[in-house]
Amino acid sequence: MTESDRQAWVADARARLDESTQSLDAATLSRLNQARHAALATRSRGLRAWWLPAAGLATSCALVFALVSWYPSAQRAGPATPAHPAVSDAEIAADDGIEFYQDLEFYAWLDAQEQESGG
Amino acid sequence: MADTTQQRALDEFLKAIERRALRMTELATASRDEALDLVQDAMFGFVRHYADKPQADWAPLFYRVLDNRINDWYRRRQVRNRWIAPFLRAAEDDDDDPIVQAPDAADPGPLLRLAGSQAALALDGALRALPHRQRQAFLLRLWEGLDVAATAVAMRCSQGSVKTHLSRALTALRRALEDHQ
Repeated sequence: MTESDRQAWVADARARLDESTQSLDAATLSRLNQARHAALATRSRGLRAWWLPAAGLATSCALVFALVSWYPSAQRAGPATPAHPAVSDAEIAADDGIEFYQDLEFYAWLDAQEQESGG
Repeated sequence: MADTTQQRALDEFLKAIERRALRMTELATASRDEALDLVQDAMFGFVRHYADKPQADWAPLFYRVLDNRINDWYRRRQVRNRWIAPFLRAAEDDDDDPIVQAPDAADPGPLLRLAGSQAALALDGALRALPHRQRQAFLLRLWEGLDVAATAVAMRCSQGSVKTHLSRALTALRRALEDHQ
């Protein structure tokens, strides 16, 4: 078989194969069409869904931020009955003026006397 | 916008290739339903994994996916024939029924069914009789028109192997079709 014969033979085979694809029945063509659209739909769904992880991450970050912002202030607010009075002894003493500090030794002696008599 | 263009390009590519892909798969499986399922699987696999590759690479990559699916099908069928078929045959009662055993005269094969000629039937039979690799080399190289390098990508083998498979396929086909030339 010469090269031209070979080429003619290949062209003939190709033509017969092409002819076989042109005569596919409607049901087969419909199934091919459905398969193609289904495959392409998976891609478009994938493209549309790219922002979902980003949105999830952003929501999580916002929740964490809100929690972190709220928690210390809630801790600072503390219970309804505080363990430590909002006004300290020093602030009360400050109202008494300089006399309180001049009599500190007397108060210390008085405290010691009370402890001795109590103990 | 770019996505729409890409989507349209993919659609046109698959539309252009689907019929030949179906025929190639049908020649490998001798079943239109099986072939349709495998082509559909190949479309899904191709779109999922290779749609973002350059368009020039799409054809060899699509046929690579399809070749994988066909090879998987062969493996499943081999396992089925080895382990399950004997039990199925034993369970069947109509083994000796000549009507059941007779070939399906209503299904003479895709090429004859479609082209309706003796030569087409002969080509169909000769292609089916080829080993899978030789048939793929012939169909991808000479029908689909892939070059040797692209055919090698599709078949996952060296370019030298493609040439060897193609040469053997041509020899076998010419010998089988001598009477129809």
